[in-house]
Amino acid sequence: MKTSTAYRVLGLLFGAGFGFVLAAANLHEYDTIHNMLRLEEFDVFLLMGAAIGTSLPLLWWLEKRNTKTAFAGTLTLSRSKPTRQHVVGGALFGIGWAVSGTCPAPALVMLVSGAGLAIITIVGLFVGLNLRDRQVARLAGTATAADGEHRNLARTS
Amino acid sequence: MLSTTFAALLPDRLPWYLAGPALGLLVVGFFLVTNQPLGASGAYVETYKTVTRKPGAATWRMFYFIGIPIGGFVGVMLKDDGFVRRAGYDALRNELPLGVTALIVLVGAVVMGYGARMAGGCTSGHGICGTAQRSPASWVATCTFMGAAVLMTLFIRIVSGGAI
Repeated sequence: MKTSTAYRVLGLLFGAGFGFVLAAANLHEYDTIHNMLRLEEFDVFLLMGAAIGTSLPLLWWLEKRNTKTAFAGTLTLSRSKPTRQHVVGGALFGIGWAVSGTCPAPALVMLVSGAGLAIITIVGLFVGLNLRDRQVARLAGTATAADGEHRNLARTS
Repeated sequence: MLSTTFAALLPDRLPWYLAGPALGLLVVGFFLVTNQPLGASGAYVETYKTVTRKPGAATWRMFYFIGIPIGGFVGVMLKDDGFVRRAGYDALRNELPLGVTALIVLVGAVVMGYGARMAGGCTSGHGICGTAQRSPASWVATCTFMGAAVLMTLFIRIVSGGAI
């Protein structure tokens, strides 16, 4: 199988796995996120903590023993220094998250669970992400390199 | 209310101590094959680039974007309620007309998208993948958006007189 095909199949599979867990844990429901942010239920905080608690030590261990990944050489983690953009962007993200009660991945699950208004959330996300992209292009700057997802991506399209 | 389900195999809400590690293992698994973090807002960006035929688009991330609702749909359909056609955002619509709710949700989503792109990640990218990589930038972004979201929710609660 060509590497680009493998990436697409893997993307689809891991996306499906991720979406399945979000649905199973009810993270696509406005109420779940809203009640968490109202500090009335702590399940989602615990869930995130458990996700980090599982992946952080495993990734650390895999990095230490220079594990070879299946398609992209040695496993390398990226760590950047915080900048003002992480703080300002994070604050804006948090404000928007509180208002719309869902974040990018759960919004997609919200829609397929039958909640029609989620389409507005998804369109809004595309608009917001693009606004920033255009602003960055206009200012001839570089998009924030981060260790979340917007890092130097494999261009294995 | 019309609802459709395959079978009630999943509980209403999978407990955090199962769902959390499951997400963590997906993140580790994806690193093991592709050496990449599993983030959602980046997948939106690359999906847009792929659809509009921008040069250098990471097309495989569009497949990730498509996979999320597919897996989500299966998960939803394995619950007792299953797929329920509705507007959503009940807590907002109980207090506000549908049009106003839609407008508020739209503005919130635009701000959220703009912020995610500026910060370089969202709840999955920074919140799980970045923190798991022990990235200081991701820890700062995650603590900031968690704090901002809790404060904004408190603000909405005060403004709405406790209704929302």
